[in-house]
Amino acid sequence: MNQITRVLAMTVLILTTALPLLAATESAEIASGTALKPDDIREEPFRDATTTGALEKGDPVSILEKDGGWLKIASEKGNGWVRLLSIRRADMTKASVTVEGILSLASGRAGTGNIVATTGIRGLTPELLRLAKFHAARLARLESYAVTRTQARKFADQGGLKAVSVPYLAGDEK
Amino acid sequence: MRCHLSALCVMILVCLSAPLPAQDVKKAILDYFRKPSSASDTARPVLSDSDKSKLLNKLRHRLPDRLKGATDALQPISLEHEISIGRQIAGNLLGAAALVGDDGLQTYVNKIGRWVADQSERPELPWHFGVLDSHDVNAFAAPGGYIFVTRGLYSLLQNEAELAGVLGHEIGHVIRRHHLKVLQQSRLLDLGRQIIPKKITDNAFAQSLIGQGAEIVSRALDQNAEFEADRLAVILTARAGYDAFALPAVLQQIGHVSRDHDRVALLFKTHPHPDTRLQKLDARLGDRLDHLKGRTLPNRLYHLKPAKTTKPGK
Repeated sequence: MNQITRVLAMTVLILTTALPLLAATESAEIASGTALKPDDIREEPFRDATTTGALEKGDPVSILEKDGGWLKIASEKGNGWVRLLSIRRADMTKASVTVEGILSLASGRAGTGNIVATTGIRGLTPELLRLAKFHAARLARLESYAVTRTQARKFADQGGLKAVSVPYLAGDEK
Repeated sequence: MRCHLSALCVMILVCLSAPLPAQDVKKAILDYFRKPSSASDTARPVLSDSDKSKLLNKLRHRLPDRLKGATDALQPISLEHEISIGRQIAGNLLGAAALVGDDGLQTYVNKIGRWVADQSERPELPWHFGVLDSHDVNAFAAPGGYIFVTRGLYSLLQNEAELAGVLGHEIGHVIRRHHLKVLQQSRLLDLGRQIIPKKITDNAFAQSLIGQGAEIVSRALDQNAEFEADRLAVILTARAGYDAFALPAVLQQIGHVSRDHDRVALLFKTHPHPDTRLQKLDARLGDRLDHLKGRTLPNRLYHLKPAKTTKPGK
């Protein structure tokens, strides 16, 4: 009797822990969403990677993976990488994943766990900013890029930009 | 704000001319800032601008030389000082994050920024724009025309107009001297103890004014300064011939990033939520700019090279 209970308990334990895992591997979808705006689907999670398709606003997508600012998606319009912010994630209440899953997706801890290392980039925390030391060489470099009014106007002309007279809103006039 | 300051000048001068101890002067100044402006406006006698300047000059004449320095701090800050303060902040911020090592990108951003800034009332400033090598989503302005956008924010941009919109918001802070006003206020609170030196051109003094490192950029401005910068950005973007609704499009994007995302932590700490900013803009703009057909120039937006291949901190 005791043994049967133990076996039963084990079975229940295995079922409750393993089943969700199985379900997760079968459907790699970690969230669903819709396209917020038209955007390209790309082969790699980079802005200049080859385009493999295009989403229209409102197209439904399955989110498979996250890598930095990119989401790997599957959709009727194609599979590949789309910029994270072109996708509105489904409401939490409707999503088939847990709240923790969505939060970890948002904070970059979900997906493959294979977060791409980036070049010496730390977040600009208040602590880091407070400790920052004057960097004369970088400032000199910044100042070397300055353009004149004439150069700026010429570049605007090349882009077909025409200065328009638009007054400030009431109360904002100088 | 200028009216605010000059009213305060009058008040301090009145205090100084009467034989009051320093503590009382400080208390009066603190009280001034504690009062909600609507209540204090009705409580104070109304002086015309010319009356104020007459009174100021009259009182100024009676001040001992030792105290004249104090009134200098309350005058609008000179262009030279404004730039030296901004330069110090920019240099410190660059100590925390390098520029993206792509000359083409940096020059491009300067062309767009300068074109937008030239539509403002302060085209004479020595405008400088830079893209910081940080994946945070943020942009910063320092007095005198130093403006930064992070790689993280730049990579969210869809077109050149959106870049113009983001830079326009920071240009708005600079042209209305939002950061300087905060600095002047915080220094005023110390007036009871300390007289502000006349010369603030040297780095050491600029540094003492802005606090430690670049901490000033991690402090929130008044929410109304942010809403004002949004309105100015929309107008400046439109004046430059771009789509006026480019900044709102960027805000819509940022609004969908979770608050918990560490890349927007500082932005969300120092700014009202993008949804609130959009609502405020919408309320003031209405359909006023709907007739304008500005350009977005998606194809001219300079493509960021992936961070992986970027050489760090040149």
